[in-house]
Amino acid sequence: LTFSGSVLGAEGAIVRRQIERFASLHRDLPVDIRVTPDSADARHQLYVQWLNAWAPEPDVLQLDVIWTPEFAAAGWILPLDRFAPDTGDFFPATLAANTWQGRLFAVPWLVDVGMLYWRTDLLAGPPATFDDLVGAARGALAAGSVSQGLVWQGARYEGLVCVFVEHLAAFGGRILDDRGAVAVDSPEAIRALAFMRQAIDDRVVPRAVLTWQEEQTRFAFQNGEALFLRNWPYAATLMNRAGSAVAGRFAAAPMPSAGGVPAAALGGAQLAVNARSRHPEAAWRLVAYLTAPEQLIERARAAGQFPARRGLYEGDALAGALPVPPEDARRIIERAVPRPVTPIYTELSSVLQVHLHRALTDQESPEDALANAARGMRAILERTGLGGGAP
Amino acid sequence: VSGRVRPGPTLERREARLAWLLMTPALGVLVILAAGPLLATIWESLFRHDLRLPWLGRPFNGLGHYTAALADPRFREALLHTAGFTIASVGLELVFGLLLALAMDALLRLRGLARVIVLLPWALPTVVAALVWRFLFDSQGGLAGRALDAVVPGADVEWLAGPISAWVPTVLADGWKTTPFVALLMLAGLQGIDRSLDEAARLDGASAWRRFAHITLPLLRPAIVVALVFRTLDAFRVFDLVFVLTGGGPGTSTEVVSLYAFTSLLQHLRFGYGSALSVIVFLVGFTLAIVYVRALGPAREAR
Repeated sequence: LTFSGSVLGAEGAIVRRQIERFASLHRDLPVDIRVTPDSADARHQLYVQWLNAWAPEPDVLQLDVIWTPEFAAAGWILPLDRFAPDTGDFFPATLAANTWQGRLFAVPWLVDVGMLYWRTDLLAGPPATFDDLVGAARGALAAGSVSQGLVWQGARYEGLVCVFVEHLAAFGGRILDDRGAVAVDSPEAIRALAFMRQAIDDRVVPRAVLTWQEEQTRFAFQNGEALFLRNWPYAATLMNRAGSAVAGRFAAAPMPSAGGVPAAALGGAQLAVNARSRHPEAAWRLVAYLTAPEQLIERARAAGQFPARRGLYEGDALAGALPVPPEDARRIIERAVPRPVTPIYTELSSVLQVHLHRALTDQESPEDALANAARGMRAILERTGLGGGAP
Repeated sequence: VSGRVRPGPTLERREARLAWLLMTPALGVLVILAAGPLLATIWESLFRHDLRLPWLGRPFNGLGHYTAALADPRFREALLHTAGFTIASVGLELVFGLLLALAMDALLRLRGLARVIVLLPWALPTVVAALVWRFLFDSQGGLAGRALDAVVPGADVEWLAGPISAWVPTVLADGWKTTPFVALLMLAGLQGIDRSLDEAARLDGASAWRRFAHITLPLLRPAIVVALVFRTLDAFRVFDLVFVLTGGGPGTSTEVVSLYAFTSLLQHLRFGYGSALSVIVFLVGFTLAIVYVRALGPAREAR
């Protein structure tokens, strides 16, 4: 049996430990770990090469939430209904993101949600609205206590879409509407993008973010340069380590709102079974083992990662393990918005990324950028025949 | 009776046959490694093949992908970017390569050492070089930003976030990396020039500039053309440098054709369309190569 996924740092140590434990429980099932690149794009490319060549290994694949429909439609991963998985305990949004044509193709493992990290030594509480956030940032910048207001991921990559999805939800907009039609050129969306650009023009958000991914924004906040940081849960554990300028002086809160519903972009890791696996039953047992409550609690305690099982957030299984109280974490996850669930997501996102980045680097106005993005995305939906959702 | 020689193949023909026989392995490798994948790519480009949409099958699409590519504004822009990048970086490399070669040629001692030092950037893997240049032009304490700040206080340029400024590190990095290659080609050319021509001109009282313009430069032409061919073809299919340094951004301002073909193929999984883009890149490069080889031909005979 071969497992492939992210095996770096604290996360890697615990995955290895859990897999070894599984192997010692099942003497007949030795498990190899195949290390894959840390960068999501690089891992996606590697998976495509393996799966398109019908390689039977790796048997178990760790997927990004946006890949499941793509791999499911391509026939590369097994529908899981044959194993009759017990899904009652998982967050509905995570199940929806892993469902294609009514069938579940991957088991939610860990949930990633965008959160607003804020400095507890400089502010009394987190901002509830984006206006409050801008006001607090301006005050701190004027007082000279920080050199940057808010930092987020602004490079042209998937992370920018996540940041945009959160602004979009805060202003009451969406990427696709309920019928699967493109809605990214709505007035709400234009207001959201105009707000993001204005924040850069006003230096509330430094222009430097336009080339930053997660880690650069974390460094800026961790070095004490920024008042606010938009990032995933992983950052909290690292920023509380020795050597961090803000250890013990920050907290996480839901993203602010701006008239709409404050929401987090939904990300995270899921486990799927290779459709050509020679040992699908054994592979499923590994998936079930890794996604069981005990393993999820262990991961949360060791690396601060959010389990995909809702039940764990009730009671005190997770007390003190997460960067936010479990009750708050559950609320953030329940309000998380999935990105469009479609096999052509990567291409839709790529068009959106280009135009978002053009707007933020003053190459297009927010109106033009979103109009062009919507036109491009509609053309893709039309060309692929996926306009109205599932074919 | 037995002294009659049977009329057999001439020596020349036998030699030719042996030559073909000896070349067969090399030709075979060429067919397998070069022609095979090329033909497979061309074949693939004629079909609508999208890994994400297996239910569409793999219908024949003729030249549909090619007309779509030529109408695709992102692809047309990428072609323009690639052409601009090629002209700027190859121009830079020729000028500085020539200057470096002249300087090395004039050295009386330590020539070997100078050559080794000059060659260092060329020896570095492109990805490493690109990472170094990104670091230099990065916003967080990048050296280029700080240097500019010292000259023009408050300039605060985000090099990699500007549609024009992002080209500066891109072209500089390519120039830095491949000027040594051009310089060595030129140095070899310079060393092949007969010194007595220069001596004679000097005795006739020709100025240094006239000697350079009328003797050195014309005689260096073959070396210049070789450098031009190699560098143009290389620059036209640039991928790794841009992929690491700018990722094609901001927006798509530094996206080159190879990068867009890669995105279409391996990120969007549009195999047919991505193959068509690759074939177009190949055709442009192939045409350039033929044009250059034609230009190189007469120069070779003239020697």
